[in-house]
Amino acid sequence: MVPLQVLVADDEAVSRTVVGAMLKKAGYPVIYAPDGQQAWQMLDSDDPPAIALLDWEMPGLQGPEVVQRIRSKQVQAPTYVILLTSRDSSADIVEGLRAGADDYVTKPANEDELIARVSVGARVVQLQTALADRVRSLEEALANVRALQTLLPMCAYCKSIRNDQNYWEKVETYFTQHSNVSFTHSYCPNCYERFVRPELEALEDARAAQDRQRRG
Amino acid sequence: MDEPAILDQAVISGLRKLTPPGEPDVLAEVLKLFLEEVPPRITRLRNAWQAGNIQEVHRAAHSLKGSAGNIGARRLFEVCRQLDDISKSGDLAAAAPLVDALGVEFGKVESEIRRLIGD
Repeated sequence: MVPLQVLVADDEAVSRTVVGAMLKKAGYPVIYAPDGQQAWQMLDSDDPPAIALLDWEMPGLQGPEVVQRIRSKQVQAPTYVILLTSRDSSADIVEGLRAGADDYVTKPANEDELIARVSVGARVVQLQTALADRVRSLEEALANVRALQTLLPMCAYCKSIRNDQNYWEKVETYFTQHSNVSFTHSYCPNCYERFVRPELEALEDARAAQDRQRRG
Repeated sequence: MDEPAILDQAVISGLRKLTPPGEPDVLAEVLKLFLEEVPPRITRLRNAWQAGNIQEVHRAAHSLKGSAGNIGARRLFEVCRQLDDISKSGDLAAAAPLVDALGVEFGKVESEIRRLIGD
């Protein structure tokens, strides 16, 4: 599994460097943003970081505002957001979580706690990605099943099927087009007795009659 | 009770251990950044305090608190924390001794850092 990229957004270079060094030591590739605006640009890109550590108080865009913007985007695997805050009153934490943050870490960050929380985030992101993939393949399977569940008008005599364009198709053609089924041709024992054997016998009889004629 | 340390040795040794093999020393990098970044912010805080700009005092105190906390500068952190609190309550006059203490405590941290990184 490729380690997930982590964004560290903090206007304070000391804090940014320390947090970044902790993450790099734990094996995460790290990118940095010195303010909220640049953090948002990275998060709004086509290939955003999987996890973001956002300082609560940054010039320009503050942490909670960046989170709100992330959450208003409809994406399949949204960035896991951890707010970095030196505030630790429960009112502030509630405000951050309400804005859409997944978790918070109080500053100065304790290395073990920070890494433990980031790895929870990594687990959530990986689960979410796996789940999104699964949903996509199930949706594809369901679409195929639906295509085969409709009521098919079939000719009672020749067994042709009427398709959506009101055209009568052979069973083989219809199923090859509407499913992953393909056909090989053979005959069942009943049809062997009913059709194949008489044909073979007729052929033999014809050949014997020819031989007799030639000899006669 | 003992006075808090100028630089908390546990934090310093934690920072020292962050350096990956073969890479530049994280501790030295962080301490140098601290010496570069903090003095202009102390100046900003002092100017804002003189001008009575309480919002700016709060912002500066808050970010200084973060920097001090990250390198384990306990006494400086405590001064910043009190300034942060006072700037929230709005009583700037009460902050006078703290603004002075800020310079003094930073001076102590600075000489401690220069001793550590052999400057």
